[in-house]
Amino acid sequence: MNPQFLIDGLLTGSMIGLGAIGVTLTYSILRFSNFAHGDLMAWGTYATLLIVGAITALFGKVAPFSPLSFGWPLMLALALAMVVTGGLALLLDRILFSRLRAKGQMIIVVMASFGASMALRNMLEFLFTSRPAYFSRAIQIAMPVGFGLRITPDQIALLILTAVLVTLVHLIMTRSRIGREMRAVSQNPALARVAGIDVARVVRFTWLIGGALACVAGVMIGVLVQIRPLMGFDMLLPIFAAAILGGIGSVPGAVLGGLIIGLSEAAAVQIVGAEWRAAVAFLILMAVLFIRPIGLFGVKER
Amino acid sequence: MTRTVLSVTDLVAGYEPGVPIVRGASLTVREGEIVVVLGPNGAGKSSFIKAIAGLVPIFSGTVMLDDEEITKVPAHQLVRRGLAFVPQTENIFPLMSVEDNLKVAGGMLDRRDMTGRIEEMYGLFPDLRDKRRIAAGNLSGGQRQMVAVARALMVRPKLLVLDEPSAGLSPKFVSMVFHMLADIRKAGVTILLVEQNAKAALAIGDRACVLVEGRNAHEGRADALWDDPVVAELYLGRRHAAGPSASDKPMPEAQP
Ligand SMILES: Nc1ncnc2c1ncn2[C@@H]1O[C@H](COP(=O)(O)OP(=O)(O)O)[C@@H](O)[C@H]1O
Ligand SMILES: [Mg+2]
Repeated sequence: MNPQFLIDGLLTGSMIGLGAIGVTLTYSILRFSNFAHGDLMAWGTYATLLIVGAITALFGKVAPFSPLSFGWPLMLALALAMVVTGGLALLLDRILFSRLRAKGQMIIVVMASFGASMALRNMLEFLFTSRPAYFSRAIQIAMPVGFGLRITPDQIALLILTAVLVTLVHLIMTRSRIGREMRAVSQNPALARVAGIDVARVVRFTWLIGGALACVAGVMIGVLVQIRPLMGFDMLLPIFAAAILGGIGSVPGAVLGGLIIGLSEAAAVQIVGAEWRAAVAFLILMAVLFIRPIGLFGVKER
Repeated sequence: MTRTVLSVTDLVAGYEPGVPIVRGASLTVREGEIVVVLGPNGAGKSSFIKAIAGLVPIFSGTVMLDDEEITKVPAHQLVRRGLAFVPQTENIFPLMSVEDNLKVAGGMLDRRDMTGRIEEMYGLFPDLRDKRRIAAGNLSGGQRQMVAVARALMVRPKLLVLDEPSAGLSPKFVSMVFHMLADIRKAGVTILLVEQNAKAALAIGDRACVLVEGRNAHEGRADALWDDPVVAELYLGRRHAAGPSASDKPMPEAQP
């Protein structure tokens, strides 16, 4: 077996893991599965693409940071698009989810997220067509890094970015005031209010983080693969499988779940063939639901 | 004349529109007092104090905290205004450490104040200091109740409202809880208390009211209520006998 599957798996796993953090947070705080999360990834990516385009129009072509395929315009665009995507998530909650949530039937909110997913996706196809787009057409040379592994500079940069973001989110959740408040709301929303926590603020913050990370995951796919309106939706199954495998509500769990699924997918491609890739997440999801529904780091529902 | 900390007038409240559970209850709590709400099961005692704490919709009537109307103030803002509530059940965050339970309630304190206040809580509840890193859900029933009360005290409330803090505890912890409440009152916190354990509650309480079907049925000084044969037989589950003698009282001697 070619050890290169490790690198592929790590990269796919990072994308899945970043997406799964958003899903697991929305689930643990708002108690619903947001099926529009994948489409937030795609929106974030197209927003980044547009902002990069605007920067290029303003400042002309900017040379990439060699040996990377991208320069500061993509980094700045990503930072801005993270805010935009967080804002889009907030907007969705404001005009759709929060109103339905007030009625108290979570299944309706889940269905609404299906609808939102479809609408967001179709809007992208309408605006950008379903033809793939790219941040850069440059071909990167993969460098050998020992053990027969090869990795491109872009891949290294994005793995580092993932590690930094995941650590940051984990620190926020465990050490900061808003993180404690998020955990409190997820464990007992009524008591959280009694303890003086502004639940609406916690909900807003959750959408912001989830949206921002979705944007990063999308841009990662955009840089390493390609940009398509369906790019996020296609990731939905592995993302949910990762969130459930890791244990709903657990940020480290979501990331670990993502890595396990990414690595399993990459291994399966080598062992049984690429056409089986999509089945891996499904099989893992089923196995978790049957054997340990609370996932790796999950805890029993109260 | 001592200041009135809480005054509730003709409160009507319930979970669904048109279905009042609290049907015109009134209550005043003066500074430094322990006021007890008694009543049969299902009388609406919990609903009454939850409405005061902003957790149950109020249909009519007013709630005043220190001359400020708080009838429509959302629950999370009441803490800031000095009203702290300890629910009867699910009153801790079980997966969070004891210390995080305290920290999350002290969100509005600045960092130095927070550290100091947590230390004060460990001084008040020494058991909790050793357990600070342990998930609160893994503590014993009595210790969980300490976490719940410490959490409420974090922000130095004027008024502490508790729903049956002794329910479900073993006799040893029941007496500990009442000692604790007496201590808290000595430290200057006014207390509003719902209790099933009428004897112990009336022994530490100054005044009490009996709630029946969402309304005040009786009210008065705690000892007078205890001695009232009608009240005693109907609501306190006791044929008339001697009032709580000094030896019955779980009131602690002043502790150093
Ligand atoms: N969350 C709720 N939703 C609807 N009705 C409730 C709820 N909680 C309590 N009730 C109703 O309110 C009434 C009074 O309950 P409660 O306030 O808990 O009484 P008490 O604390 O005096 O035993 C009961 O009839 C109960 O069925
Ligand atoms: Mg009750």
